[in-house]
Amino acid sequence: MAQITLENIGFRYPGASEDTLSGLSLDIAHGEAHALLGASGAGKTTLLNLLSGLFAPTTGKLLFDRADVSQLVGRERNVAQVFQFPVLYESLNVAENLAFPLRTRGAGKAEITGRVDYICKQLDISNLRDRKANTLSLFEKQLVAVGKALVRDNVSLILLDEPLTAVEPKIKWRLRQTLRKVQEDTGVTMIYVTHDQTEALTFADRVSVLTAGGILQTGTPAEIYQSPGHEFVGHFVGSPGMNFVPNSAIGVTTGERLGFRPEWAIIDDDGPLKGVVTRTRVQGTRESEPYGLVTLATDFGELSVRASTDVQVGTNTALRVNRYVAFAEKQKVGESEVL
Amino acid sequence: MSRLPKNRKWAKVKSYKPQNNRAWIGVLPVVLIVAFSAVIPLMTVVNYSVQDILDFNTRFFVGFEWYRETLNDPRFHDAFVRQVAFSLTVLLIEIPLGIAVAKGIPKTGKLTPFIIILLALPLLIPWNVVATIWQIYARPDIGLLGVGVNALGIAYNYTAEPTHAWLTLVAMDVWHWTSLVALLAFAGLTAIPNPYYQAAEIDGASKWQIFRLVELPRLRGVLIIAILLRLMDSFMIYTEPFVLTGGGPGNATTFLSQYLATMAVGQFDLGPAAAFSVIYFLFILLFCWLFYTSVVSRDET
Repeated sequence: MAQITLENIGFRYPGASEDTLSGLSLDIAHGEAHALLGASGAGKTTLLNLLSGLFAPTTGKLLFDRADVSQLVGRERNVAQVFQFPVLYESLNVAENLAFPLRTRGAGKAEITGRVDYICKQLDISNLRDRKANTLSLFEKQLVAVGKALVRDNVSLILLDEPLTAVEPKIKWRLRQTLRKVQEDTGVTMIYVTHDQTEALTFADRVSVLTAGGILQTGTPAEIYQSPGHEFVGHFVGSPGMNFVPNSAIGVTTGERLGFRPEWAIIDDDGPLKGVVTRTRVQGTRESEPYGLVTLATDFGELSVRASTDVQVGTNTALRVNRYVAFAEKQKVGESEVL
Repeated sequence: MSRLPKNRKWAKVKSYKPQNNRAWIGVLPVVLIVAFSAVIPLMTVVNYSVQDILDFNTRFFVGFEWYRETLNDPRFHDAFVRQVAFSLTVLLIEIPLGIAVAKGIPKTGKLTPFIIILLALPLLIPWNVVATIWQIYARPDIGLLGVGVNALGIAYNYTAEPTHAWLTLVAMDVWHWTSLVALLAFAGLTAIPNPYYQAAEIDGASKWQIFRLVELPRLRGVLIIAILLRLMDSFMIYTEPFVLTGGGPGNATTFLSQYLATMAVGQFDLGPAAAFSVIYFLFILLFCWLFYTSVVSRDET
C-alpha cells in the first residue's frame, strides 16, 4: 500500500517526434481505487507501463510514498499487474501460480499457504487449486491472474490493464465486485485502466479522464458525470454523452457553449430548443409508461433527452433545459440550475 | 415461404449444394502421384522381401524367412545399436544447443536478419557437400581442423580411430543441423507475447525461472517438431559416413542405411535388403509414434 504521486510526468518513445505523455500530474491516496479512463490512443497503456516499471519517464518524477521510483525496474517497485489477457505460468497448477510471487520473494511456507487459501476463498476458486493453468477456461484463467496480483499483501500498487476485456459480460460484473471487495478488505492501492466508462465509474473511488497524453479531469465518478471539467469529458462520459448548444440558444450569458445531460432536459412544446423528433429508443418503463431516449433534430444538431418515448417520430416539439454546465474554450466556466 | 416459386428448393440445392461426386476427379492426380511415388515402390519392396531372387527369371517365395534372418543378424544388431546411439547423441547436443543459440539471437534489431541468414546457410548445403567439406577439413595431413588438432598435441585421425570418426560425424551433424533447431526455437520465442515477460519481471522471477516457466512451455510445440525432424533425419543418415570413411574404420560408423546399401547395391541381395528396408521403415515409424504419443498423452493428464 502506498500513496502514488505523479509529478509532471512526460514520456516520449525513443525515436518518436512527439511526446506520448506530457505534463501529467496526479495524486493517488493510500488504498484508493483509481480508474484511468480514456479512448484508444490516449496514452493509457504507456502510463501503465511507466507505473509498472517497464519504461522510465522521460521527464518528471514518479513517487511511491514520497520515494522516487522513476528509475527502478519492475521487480524493485513492488507492484502487481493484471493484463488484458490472462498471463499465467501454464505448466504450473493454480495453487503454484498463486504462490509464485510469494515464493520468489522468499516467503515462508505458512505465509504462502495462508495467503493462497485466503485468495482461493475470496475469489471462490478453491475447486481449481490443483488444475493445471492451461486446462482452465479463459475466465478462470483471468480470475487466477487477478488472484496472483492480489496474493502479496504488501505490494505498493496493483495495476489492472483492462482486465475484464477477456471476460464474458455476464461475469464481468461479478469479477468487478470481487475485485472491489478484495480491494476494500486489503486496502491496497489500485489503478484500473479502461476505455469502458461503466467499468471506470462503478469501480473507482476517483476517475481520471485521459486524452492525447494528458489528464483532462480527475474526480469522483459523480463529479465526472455531473460537472465535467472539459467538453471532451462531458462528451466521452455518459451514454449518450452530453448535448452541446451555444449559450444564446437558451438565453444564458455564461461561457460560450452549454452542455446538458439527456436527463437534465424535458420535452416541452414551449421550450426554447425547437426541433423534430427523429427517433426514440425505449430503455425501460417509468410509471408504466415506456421510457427512454428521444432524439430531436434542432438548429444546433441532434439533441437527446431522457423522457417518455410516447411521442411520434416527426412531431414538432421543443426541449427545456433544467441544468447545464457552461464551457468557454472547451473548459468548464460554470454550472447552474435553470429556474 | 409459400410465396416463393415452387422450384425454389430444387434450384437452391442445384446452385448451392452440388450433390454429384465429380469433385473426386480433382483428387485423382494426387492419388496417382502418391501411388507411383510411394505406394507402388513400397509394395514392390514388400514383394521383394518375401522372395528369394536369383536372377531376372528365377525367384522363389520364402515367406518371412528374410525377416527372421535380418532380425537375428548380429551385424544388423550392431548397426542398429550404433544408429540409436548416434541419433540420441546428436539430439542431446542439437536440441539444447539450438535453444541456447536461439536465446542468443536479438529479437529485434538490424543484426537479426543477418544472423538468421548466417544460421540458415548450413541448411542450404547438400549432404554430400557437407561431408566432403568435413572430409577434407578434418584430414590430419592437409585439413585445417585435422592439422590444427594434431598441432595441439592430440593425435587425431578419423580414418584410423573409431572414436575420432564418431566425433567427426557428430560434429558434422551438429554443424549442419543445429541451425534448424535454432531457427525453429527462435520462431517459437518471438511468438511469446510480451506481457508474459513483463508479468515474470514484476513477479520477481529469475532468468532461469523465466526460461523454465515462461519460455520452455511455450516452445513445446516447435521443439516436438524439431525433435521429430532430427530423429527421423539422423536415423536415416547415409551420405556423411559414406563420404567420410565409407562406414569405417572397421564397421565403426556403419549405420543402418550404410549396411542396407551394402546389401542391396553391393551384394545384390534384393530379398534380404527389401526385408531390411521394411524393418528399417517400421522402426522409424515406431520411434516417431512412441515419441509423439508419449508427448501427447502427457498433455492430456
